[in-house]
Amino acid sequence: MLAFLIGEAFRNLRRGGRVAASAVLLITLSLAALGAFWVLSLNIGSAVEQWRDRLRVVVYLREEPPAGEVEGLLKKIEGVGGIQRLRYVSKAEALQTLRRQLGGKVSEVEQLPTNPLPPSVEVTPAPEASTPEGTRALIQRLSALAEVEEVQGGTAWVEWLAQLQGLLQLIGLALGGVLALAAILTATTATTLVLHARREEMEIMRLVGASEMVIRLPLFLQGLAQGLVGAGLAVGALYGAYRLALPTLEPLLSFTLGLSRAAFFSPIEVALLLGGGGLLGALGGLAAKGERPA
Amino acid sequence: MIELRGVSKVYRVGPVKVTALADVSFAVEKGEFTVLAGPSGSGKTTLLRLLYRDEVPTEGEIRVAGFDVTGLRRSRIPQLRRAVGVVFQDAKLLPGRSVYDNIAFVLRVLGTPRRDITPRVMQTLKAVGLSARAQALPAQLSQGEQQRAALARALVKEPALLLADEPTGNLDEAMAEEILYLLSEIWSRGTTILLATHRATLADQLKRRTLVLDGGRLLKDEE
Repeated sequence: MLAFLIGEAFRNLRRGGRVAASAVLLITLSLAALGAFWVLSLNIGSAVEQWRDRLRVVVYLREEPPAGEVEGLLKKIEGVGGIQRLRYVSKAEALQTLRRQLGGKVSEVEQLPTNPLPPSVEVTPAPEASTPEGTRALIQRLSALAEVEEVQGGTAWVEWLAQLQGLLQLIGLALGGVLALAAILTATTATTLVLHARREEMEIMRLVGASEMVIRLPLFLQGLAQGLVGAGLAVGALYGAYRLALPTLEPLLSFTLGLSRAAFFSPIEVALLLGGGGLLGALGGLAAKGERPA
Repeated sequence: MIELRGVSKVYRVGPVKVTALADVSFAVEKGEFTVLAGPSGSGKTTLLRLLYRDEVPTEGEIRVAGFDVTGLRRSRIPQLRRAVGVVFQDAKLLPGRSVYDNIAFVLRVLGTPRRDITPRVMQTLKAVGLSARAQALPAQLSQGEQQRAALARALVKEPALLLADEPTGNLDEAMAEEILYLLSEIWSRGTTILLATHRATLADQLKRRTLVLDGGRLLKDEE
């Protein structure tokens, strides 16, 4: 029975001709648009996570605490809350870092009469304090400490990146949604045409006692097949474009966002896209209107 | 096998009511061969359509092959139709499929195991004398052969009741006789038959119980 139903579904696809092909094409376009924004958003999302993880707030101290009081000071700073970890940077360590950074120009540092660099504490905010509001509140709390001269740090540009990611997701969903609706309508039209072409067969099927499930299932399978083919083409096209753009894209991502590699969909995400395509087509198949018995 | 009690069917065409059947009652026992005679427009086709639940009566009760057709839920209509074979004046064969495929199609949609399909189709084709034309397309058949193929399609699911709506309407005398002979053969194997015809001579020729309809009313019920 299943073989018969699948056979009928493919017979329907052949009969659907150009309209069935249009439905496949629209499903491909809608999922390719959705997928393109999705993959872009995935990469920006990775950059946001990476940069959030690297986020530091630097607390400059008024004066260098004696060695025995460093531990106590760090505990006091940690006590303001919203801190994942912190590290004390003495004046000497700051100068060493500066020497390393200056490289060949180190002699200019040697000429300084005293070490002008302030001691500091590098603070990594806790994940819940990594938002713009969280970081602002943390900076305020840290600034209120008597030992603190100045606090530097912020998440503004990381948040801008996060907003861009949200915007891309929204555009992808909106564009994909409109195209998906068009795909469903085309799949419905393709199935309705097949229903019209098959009305004699369906009349005979109903006359001899075929159940509605047997009559409608090939239409559902036809839609499903259109959807799966469309989604497969979309994933293939996206992967082709990704491989093609990779040599140009990776240095650009590394330079602008600090990402070491451009990511593509995981197998689960590919399965989700294929499932989405199948669902679009199947909905089109189910929505088709045919003559019903009395 | 068939029981009608006070069955009426009224169609509404805008504000106008058209009575197709009025207070029809009769019964057909299992194994009977009954002729439903009457001129065109007398209500024969409407009556047959009520029997396989293609239409719903306006009034009255209908029982067919153990099914209460009047109160039958939509989901159970297929079960009723599996017990009833129907042939029409127009053979209604699927033009793109061979004779074999037209008949096998019925078994496939009813979920018959694949290994049983060919033997049952060939056996049915043999019964209607079309074994040699199994691979022919409907357009390659004569009208008599097309009607025999339609009979084979109705019979392949082994229905308890066969409803034949003017099966000889498009045929010349010789072909019509062939079909009538075939129907008698089918009946002799135990299938109950209700044959609708407008040809009075045909009803006389068969010498079977005849129900005469006219203007939607049952005028005569004679052996």
